[in-house]
Amino acid sequence: MWGRFIDVFRRRRLDADLDSQLAHHLDALEAEYRTHGLAPGDARAAARRDMGGLTQVRDAYRDQHGVPVFETVWRNIRFAVRASRRTPGLTATIVFTLALGIGANSAVFSAIDTVLLRPLSFPDADQLVRVIQTQDGARDTWIASLRLEDWNRLSSSFAAITGYSVEDASDTTGDLPVRVRRARVSPRFVQVWGVAPAAGRGFTDAEHRLGASPVALISDRYWRNRFGADPSVLGKSVRLSGRPYAIVGVMPISFRFPERDVDIWSPEVVNSPYTRRQFQTYIGVGRLKPGVSLTQARADLARVQTELAEQYPDTDRQIGTRVEPLKETMIGGARGTLSLLFAAVSVLLLIACTNIAALLLSRAARREQEIAVRYALGATRAAVLLQLLTEVGVLALAGAAAGVFVSLAVSAGFRVLAPDLPRLGEAGLDARMLLYMMALAVLAALVCGLFPAVRSSRGAAALAGTGRAHVSARHPLLWCLVGVQVALSVTLLASAGLLLRSFDKLSRVDPAFDSRHVLTFHVSGSYDEVRDYDRVVQRIHRTLDELTTLPGVAAAATSASLPGVGHRNPAEFHLVEGRAASEPAMVAEWRNVSPSYFETTRIPVLAGERCQPKPLGAVRAGSTIDVMVNRSFADTYLPGRSPVGLHLATNASIYRAGRISGIVGDARELGIDREPVPTAYFCDSIPSPFPWFLVRTIGQSTSVVGAVRAKLQAIEPLRSVYDVAPLDERIGDAYEQNRLRTIVISVFAVTALSLACLGVWGTLSYLVTLRRREIGLRLSLGAPRVGILSHFLGQAVRVAVIACACGLALSAVFARVLSSMLYGVSASDPATLSSVVAIVLGVAVLAALVPAARAALAEPMRILREE
Amino acid sequence: MSREVLQGTLDLMVLRTLDAMGPQHGLGLARRILQVSEGILNLNQGTLYPALLRLEQRRWIRSRWGISENNRKAKFYELTARGRKQIGEETESWESTVSLMAKFLARPTGGE
Repeated sequence: MWGRFIDVFRRRRLDADLDSQLAHHLDALEAEYRTHGLAPGDARAAARRDMGGLTQVRDAYRDQHGVPVFETVWRNIRFAVRASRRTPGLTATIVFTLALGIGANSAVFSAIDTVLLRPLSFPDADQLVRVIQTQDGARDTWIASLRLEDWNRLSSSFAAITGYSVEDASDTTGDLPVRVRRARVSPRFVQVWGVAPAAGRGFTDAEHRLGASPVALISDRYWRNRFGADPSVLGKSVRLSGRPYAIVGVMPISFRFPERDVDIWSPEVVNSPYTRRQFQTYIGVGRLKPGVSLTQARADLARVQTELAEQYPDTDRQIGTRVEPLKETMIGGARGTLSLLFAAVSVLLLIACTNIAALLLSRAARREQEIAVRYALGATRAAVLLQLLTEVGVLALAGAAAGVFVSLAVSAGFRVLAPDLPRLGEAGLDARMLLYMMALAVLAALVCGLFPAVRSSRGAAALAGTGRAHVSARHPLLWCLVGVQVALSVTLLASAGLLLRSFDKLSRVDPAFDSRHVLTFHVSGSYDEVRDYDRVVQRIHRTLDELTTLPGVAAAATSASLPGVGHRNPAEFHLVEGRAASEPAMVAEWRNVSPSYFETTRIPVLAGERCQPKPLGAVRAGSTIDVMVNRSFADTYLPGRSPVGLHLATNASIYRAGRISGIVGDARELGIDREPVPTAYFCDSIPSPFPWFLVRTIGQSTSVVGAVRAKLQAIEPLRSVYDVAPLDERIGDAYEQNRLRTIVISVFAVTALSLACLGVWGTLSYLVTLRRREIGLRLSLGAPRVGILSHFLGQAVRVAVIACACGLALSAVFARVLSSMLYGVSASDPATLSSVVAIVLGVAVLAALVPAARAALAEPMRILREE
Repeated sequence: MSREVLQGTLDLMVLRTLDAMGPQHGLGLARRILQVSEGILNLNQGTLYPALLRLEQRRWIRSRWGISENNRKAKFYELTARGRKQIGEETESWESTVSLMAKFLARPTGGE
């Protein structure tokens, strides 16, 4: 059989082979006749006569070297293409529907594949883990570099543990300062990733020690942009904040970690006498030893930290550890969103298939005669079945081909709607995706083709009397398919409705701060500047003062984090004046803001006074500072006391204590969808050398961008202004996945509803056409037109009502997935669900009305004459 | 005897002929079969060449181009190891068929 298969692909050569063998044969015979004394012409003729019909020989030979199944399939395909061309409208509808279903499905699958399924692009990426420090039992905090060294030294399940902290630096190599992202890295950084520099080397241990001259690794991008891909870049240097760093290596183009835009990596000095275990600025990454499980690593690190807690009770007692796969920590909440979208898009594909199945069923009915002729001419049932399936297969493949474009469009839509979805940028159309689409096409062909094909290959024995006998039998099946479509679209529509409602609720929430007309940005700075702390304070205060003088600017503030974008920073506080031991621990959000923060964000001061900026020199480690607490802090932790004048302290702060100078309103700092929690605002304008700047403008916030840039160029010529965006926009971006879900599911739901309508309309039209004669007869016998109308309409409505009930039951299942993504609306919100049902019923009635009216308004005489 | 030959029997004839004579071209085979069958079995080319191709596809024979006795390019067929084994099997099954048929023919059941 295999030899036969191969011969299919060399049929031309085989034919030529045969011809030359036959020629040899003929010549030999002719020669023989001539030796018997025949004249040349007669000898040739005799030889030919002996050979018989050469054409028959060739045909018989060809039969042997072809594979019949192959040729049947090919013939079926050609026939299918011809058949689909005969009904262009139906073909276009089916291909379009499938293209939508398959394209959307594979776009979502492509996102899932890239974001969730594929490993990170590092060698043995499944060994990479994030090592996390937890403090006070709950919150994740950054890690002191000293502790990272201890973990690495004392643990036994890690090949290596390293860490990094990312900051902005001002690159002063060229004439103008440019902001670059720089990662300070712990020893073993290159080793943990398993990625060697493309040129040069990684850092040596000596370079992590005090007194080493500063060195740096640069990114491929930086090498190309700043050094024009200079091959002799090693040994040259970059100037960061005025210090030259010798370049020891260039990382490969694919290495973009810890953040996409990091261009420079430089070694952290681990034995500096100034380093403290309280200086927690690092994020930990580790590589597990081969064969070590997560559980083992967790237990190992927990043991190490217990030892450290005994050794350094002051700093390490409250600290716990976690170990998570690096990929999981990078994906974050995207898993839920993508799963929801995939479920929705699969439902959509199912609707599309059902729709097509109904269309094919009605087409099959019209082709009954053709099929009957085939049987009469001796076709076997298998042959007819294969033919019908091939037709669907061809349509499905065409649909998948068109689906490629739909998929590309949907993917582009994703990128616009969710630019920050982790790893989505890596997604693209590749062989895997094409394979997936092919598989979907085959599946779709089977799902929507098998049933109609089996059905129509069965009954069509009768050559005459087509149609009438089978009409009544086919109703329930057709309506069942329509019902499935309606039910599924109710489910999708209900999900979309709930998401839209919660989106709407979210946009109506009063966050208790005013995010409109606020411009936010960074001004580059570096932790290096902290050596001369007073200068940093002076600089930032002067920048704030100068910003406030700009026309169009009402107020300017600094803050460690932005309000409303979900940045959490909880800490436990103590009251210096003392509280009863029975009272709950004071766990609250801890924010560092400049005093002007409250007028800039319009958070009202309710009691006491707004905090005052400290005079120069007073704001430094160990000093006292003003604190504002919000109302819920005062109500929760200090009920019945006057908070103003009391003092708050925390382990996590460098300040000895803060004096509460006033109470402010409860703002939704943690996110628009989160209830305000107790919060303490430490009035420190300089939480870092590069805090967020917030500027309240009188008009459009973007209108002052030029002025802000010009002013900073004037007062800080060596610094760059970057990451400029209105606060509104940032808050919107924080809800990007919410927006993605809502928009995409709404689009899917509307598509589903349109398909279901098409189903109702198509099915009813088909039934009306089949029963044309009967309708004509009834009308001519005096049946009222209203009766006919209500008969057909009633059919559709009955199905729609039952389908709506099933759809609602189904949405209850869907709602379980959805409920965690809703805000301010329950998953069984009666208002939403009832309006969804009303919409679906209304649209279904409209779709049914057209064919029903056509039936009712028919001219009985014309119809009867047609026969 | 008609020119139609049972497929299985033709296969065996070709294999056996190749086994006895060594590599042969199509015409030689046809001649030899005609000769052995004492002029009864004059093979149609439309039967012979497809049969040769079929045997080749089953890897029982293989072919290569060579020069015939009258100095012409011709395709020579020869037996493969598999083909040689096949002769044994086919012979056995043929003999059992023959003996079976012989039993039926020797004792006709029923009568007119």
